[in-house]
Formats: sequence, structure tokens, C-alpha cells
Amino acid sequence: MECKIQTLANVVLIEVEGRIDHGTAPAFGSALLPHVDGCTGETKKLLLDLGAVNYMSSAGLRVVMIAAKGCRKQSGKMVLAALQPTIQEIFKIGRFDMVLDTFATVREALAAISPAALALYDKG
Amino acid sequence: MAERVMSGRITTSTIDAVEHCTQFAAAQAHEAGFSLARVREIELVVEEVVSNICGHSYGGHPGSVELSCERLDGANLALEFIDYGRPFDILALPMPDLAVDLDQRDPGGVGVPMFRALVDHATYRREDLRNILQVIVHAAPKLRSDPAAR
Repeated sequence: MECKIQTLANVVLIEVEGRIDHGTAPAFGSALLPHVDGCTGETKKLLLDLGAVNYMSSAGLRVVMIAAKGCRKQSGKMVLAALQPTIQEIFKIGRFDMVLDTFATVREALAAISPAALALYDKG
Repeated sequence: MAERVMSGRITTSTIDAVEHCTQFAAAQAHEAGFSLARVREIELVVEEVVSNICGHSYGGHPGSVELSCERLDGANLALEFIDYGRPFDILALPMPDLAVDLDQRDPGGVGVPMFRALVDHATYRREDLRNILQVIVHAAPKLRSDPAAR
């Protein structure tokens, strides 16, 4: 499991790659959860790109839920993008799809949460 | 009567039981001809069961977990998990309330519904101070998957 992190305007984009399981969930949490700090209102938003995640167990889902709850508690925003079909199904089983905003692509997510970040993303 | 062919058994310490049991079951399912998508689902099942054994049955204390795998008639596998901890039946765990808003959600608790969604049949018994959980998984995937994993 690897996380690449970049900032686009007021959005912290976290690209996750690989497998999030019992063994890698702690590292996933260490990479993601510090970014929840300061995620309030329009000043800072989180976008989790899960396009390259091919396996996520409940240990990984737990980290996502902790981050989402942390953001909500601060009136912040965390959204997810590009979930593979199996991960989408796992989200449905856990009803994550009912409480988290998910988008088909990173671009669509940025368009929804930050036009400024989208402009930077499109510039490459 | 269904033909049963023992295809493997491992005994692991709880320290690395999740990893070893998951890898073992994945190899067994792969060898039985299961698709990559179904192999991953079986890995999810095994990860949930073994992490629950370590956490609930052994309460985080050291112990051992045995996992055996049998091929049944047709494209089915029987996985049998044995541990020597306190009585623990994963099948009796209550389903969490997943209908509540994000604020009220328990960050955990998704393992039970995931386990139930991915197995075809499961039974539990307590015998000679052992927890014995048998899980039957068919070859057909339960979840929609990427074409490459089918």
C-alpha cells in the first residue's frame, strides 16, 4: 500500500495504491489521518483517490470512517473518487455509500468540491 | 454423499495468523480454480474470521489458529477454523446498525455484514474447549468485479 499526497489549492489529494488490509491499514491511517487536522469548511478539503486500490478489508474501511467522522466533526469535507467495482460493492455492504460522497473520477470530485483545485488539476 | 478432498492445513500463531491464514486460503482457492475476484473475497472472509478470533476468542493474548481447507464436490471449498480461546461464535455477533448517520456510526462493525455477504454457508460449534467454525464458499463471486479479475 502506498499513498501519494499533493495539494491542489484548498484540496489535499491522497492517491492510494495497492491493498488495504489488516497489515497495511495502520500505515494507511498514519498517512491519511493527520490530514484530517484543519479540514474545516472551505479552507481545506480531503479527496481520497482509491482508483488503484484493489482490496480493502474492514480494517481499511475503519480508517476511512474515522477520517470521515473527524472531518464531519469539524464541519469539514472528505470525498472519495474512482472506486473499483469491488470496492464499491464493499462500500455498499457497509453502507458507506449512504454516508460518504463518492465520485466516478477525481476530476468529477474536484469539480464538485473546488473549482480552483480543478483548474490546477486540469493544468497538470 | 459429497466427496471431500483434504487439500491443506496450517497452524499459526496469533501474531501473524491473519497474514498466514489469508495467504494460505488464497493459495488454496487459486489452486481450486477460483477466479481472482472470488479469491479476494475469500481473503476478506478469512481476514475477518481470523482477526475476530485473535481479538475476541483470545482477547489479544497469544494463541494458535488452525485453518484447514477441503475441496468438496463441484466448485466448492470448505474452510475450517479452529482456535483454543474462550467461546466465541462469529455467527452470533449482532449486525451493527448501518442505517444511522455518519455522526452515529461506529467506525468498526463492517466485518460482520461483509462476512455474511461473502460466504455461502457457515456453522459454529464448541467442542473440547475449541471453537470450530466451518465456512463453505462456492466458486461464484458474490460481488461485482473488474473484468480482469473474473
